[in-house]
Amino acid sequence: MLQRYLDPAVLAGISSLDLLAKTVVDGFVAGLHRSPDFGFSQEFAEYRAYTPGDDLRHVDWNLYARTERCYIKRYRGETNSQLTILLDASNSMQYTSGPPTKMDYARFIAASLFYLGIHNQRDAAGLIVFDDEVRDYIRPSTRPGQLARLFAGLERAEPRARTNYARPLEHFRNFLHRRGIAIVISDFYEDPETIIHTIAPLRFHGHEVILFHILDPEEIRPDFKGPALLVDLETETRMEVIPEYVKTSYRAKVDAHIETLRDKARAAGLDYQLLITDRPLDAALREYLTMRQEGN
Amino acid sequence: MGFLAPWFLGGLAALGVPVFVHLLRKHISVPRPVSSLMFFEHGKQSSTRHRRLRYLLLFALRLALVLLVALAFANPFIRRASTHANGRLLLIVLDNSFSMRAGTRFSDAKQQALALLAARPHDERAQIAALGGEVELLTQPITDDAQLRAALASIEPGDGRGNFGELGRAVRALAETARAPIDLHLFSDMQHSAVPANFGDMVFPSQVKLMLHNVASGVAPPNWTVESVNAPAQIADPKDPKQSRVEAVVAGFNTPAASKNVSLVINGKVVATQRADVPADGRTKVTFSLLNVAYGFNRCEIRIDGGDSFPADDATVFSVRRSDPERVLFVHANLDTRSAVYFGAALEAAAQSSYVLQPVTAEQATDLDPSRFAFVVLSDALTLPSIFEHALNAYVARGGNVLIALGTSAAHRARVPIWSGETQEARDYARDSSSATIGQIDFSHPALIQDQPGRDNGGWSEVKVNYAAIVDPGSARVAARLADGTPIVLDKQIGEGHVLLLASGLDNLTNDLPLHPVFVAFVDRAARYLSGSERLSGSRLVDAYVQLRAGQESTAGSVEVIDPDGHRPLTLGEERTAQSLRLEKAGFYRIHFANGHDAVIGVNPDRRESDLAPMQEDTLKLWSGSSSSEGNSAAAAASNEGRQPVSLWWYVILLALLAAIAETVLASRHLGTLREEA
Repeated sequence: MLQRYLDPAVLAGISSLDLLAKTVVDGFVAGLHRSPDFGFSQEFAEYRAYTPGDDLRHVDWNLYARTERCYIKRYRGETNSQLTILLDASNSMQYTSGPPTKMDYARFIAASLFYLGIHNQRDAAGLIVFDDEVRDYIRPSTRPGQLARLFAGLERAEPRARTNYARPLEHFRNFLHRRGIAIVISDFYEDPETIIHTIAPLRFHGHEVILFHILDPEEIRPDFKGPALLVDLETETRMEVIPEYVKTSYRAKVDAHIETLRDKARAAGLDYQLLITDRPLDAALREYLTMRQEGN
Repeated sequence: MGFLAPWFLGGLAALGVPVFVHLLRKHISVPRPVSSLMFFEHGKQSSTRHRRLRYLLLFALRLALVLLVALAFANPFIRRASTHANGRLLLIVLDNSFSMRAGTRFSDAKQQALALLAARPHDERAQIAALGGEVELLTQPITDDAQLRAALASIEPGDGRGNFGELGRAVRALAETARAPIDLHLFSDMQHSAVPANFGDMVFPSQVKLMLHNVASGVAPPNWTVESVNAPAQIADPKDPKQSRVEAVVAGFNTPAASKNVSLVINGKVVATQRADVPADGRTKVTFSLLNVAYGFNRCEIRIDGGDSFPADDATVFSVRRSDPERVLFVHANLDTRSAVYFGAALEAAAQSSYVLQPVTAEQATDLDPSRFAFVVLSDALTLPSIFEHALNAYVARGGNVLIALGTSAAHRARVPIWSGETQEARDYARDSSSATIGQIDFSHPALIQDQPGRDNGGWSEVKVNYAAIVDPGSARVAARLADGTPIVLDKQIGEGHVLLLASGLDNLTNDLPLHPVFVAFVDRAARYLSGSERLSGSRLVDAYVQLRAGQESTAGSVEVIDPDGHRPLTLGEERTAQSLRLEKAGFYRIHFANGHDAVIGVNPDRRESDLAPMQEDTLKLWSGSSSSEGNSAAAAASNEGRQPVSLWWYVILLALLAAIAETVLASRHLGTLREEA
């Protein structure tokens, strides 16, 4: 029953991102992901023998009293991760073959993740909306009202201009010093090598980087009944194409692009997730979170 | 091929719509946005031709659809040959007039007609008609051989007089309704006497092609006949030579001079025979006396010896009714004694009258029963005893007849008895020192009948009228008017009887009519008309009509008719309702009228049928040539009429429907979703 409401086409009719995110997240899980780091949480992880240089505050003195051996207690990290979503708002994101647009789908995903992070995990969450420059920046925070600010930022993110990954990522590096999760949501119409080359440095700064590749099903398997005049949404370049090419060469190129991007992302230690706009949102999130849990 | 509504072809201008859509707009395509052209390559390949090919097919279908719809509105038709052998109607007319009884004319004509009928194509429509006293269509235009042969075989020789003018009128009416070319085959003896006075009456319309089949070619055979008989219908005293004289005219057509025995036959018995010398192609008169007639009806016949090829016309029949002199009640005013004298003298002078006048004053008429009199005359007697007036009304209603003469009393008393009307005024022409004359006379009225009235208006122009009452004619028939239009003789039917009104007197004071010879003729014919003796006996011609009852609303009893063959030509229903009877056969008819009177009437064929001379060759050629030449000039029209227009509307609509379906299917293919092939 609930699944029906998670259909992207149905969600596109929900104007409130708050309600949409609540619907998606509460519908399937609460807090599936964990912090990959050990920290100060109350959740015990393991004992480890003391080695010189360890913080004496972590020694389990009760155990030492019983056994006269020093052991260090280790705990799983608490919800103090910092989630930052980099949302591509270039013109290409407004493409659609049917509701929702790629931009809307990206908003739904981002809203769901914000809700999941702030409401369920109490993570700090922030947003960077970019095209060929940074258009909107909401600093990650756990302050009350942050979720509303993020949703408002998503609402304001209307597609325009072209994509340029270099500038927003530079901005990101300049302003975010604390490690956390960085999620880049884009249709990645760029050379995979360039994309990875631009994004991979985030990983070097200790960030966990996830690429959400959003594509419309028509972009993967376009259906042309005859020759058509195509217009590039970003450059407004026109080109006449024939259906035979679209059915053969184009599909091979798109598949190769996706495959290359996935391979290079994994090679660079980035998580990659392909999201098709006709897939239910909860299924996409579940798939991703399950994959992360298994990865831990 | 043509169009019944060609102005709708203007709708073909709509062909420009698909032309515009397909030829002018086919290169206009809406740009299709994509996220990026990163993976696309520019291409214009041969596959474009497929699109054009399909679009051209759609274009052709749309053109066809518009074209067919416009054609459907224009309603095209083609002329197609009629299913019936080029659409012509074969009209076979068989002459069965009296002259066809001569020799083997009728049987020959019938055989030829049957042979023609058998030789015609079986799918050709044919119609059978008989030309006798009138043109009788025996069938509808049909192809059924058996029915046509039966109709032709049922035609028997008749006693009527053929008239090609009647045939012309009937065929013209038929051509109006048939609307198809007609092949008219006339099987006749082409008798010259059947040609009407106006040749134009027998000319046929252009689509009628006349083929003559003359069964009496050559010189007409000699034929003697009793051309006419002048005999009294009623006789009172056979020994009175003036009353009992019978004059017969024996005529010869194309005959040499000959001596013929002429006999008078009464009730089947030859009572007198005379020898008559008939000159070549001439006439002679023979006179007999009806000495031995019995009381009642006598069936009489004038017969001549045979010896010619047409024995059917050798006798002429007539009936004579012998009775005691009938009384005529003459009611006059007290002071009027002159009118009875004048009227009685005229009645007595009439050759065929056998009446006894009984003059009485109005007061004396109280106890008289009008039904005991042949008819009643009211001379200036406007004031009648009520009992007598009542009896007179009943008498008229039952079929009795009254003559009313309005004298000077009309000036004092407006109401006219019996007439159910009043005098509007009395006009005294003598006061103006001038008298009126009689202007118009209806010579077809039985009381005034004259075959050929002279320039003196049949003798009436000399009559001077000094005094006349003006009577509203109403429903009465005006038989004569004065020069100023005042009705002077009127005839009104009341019940079964008639009332003849003379708007002036009989006393030689209000007019001088009694002094003129025409007065005797008037009184004689009026007496015969009012007494009804004319209807009850005498002779008529074949195809004449006899009035059986007075009016539709008549409540009198039924009539009874026995024809010469002893059959009853009227059904029981017709005997109660029929107004008149057509005398179709020659011989004696016995009739019992609705008013109770009996009659025996001798009926003879028209003697013009006895002249067997055929039409001249020139006339025949002119007749047949006129129709054929007109037919040739209208050949195109005739051939067009033979080819009937057949509308193609349904076929065009069907094609338009198919085009619409094909267009819908093809267009939906272009608009539909292509199946994934990869």
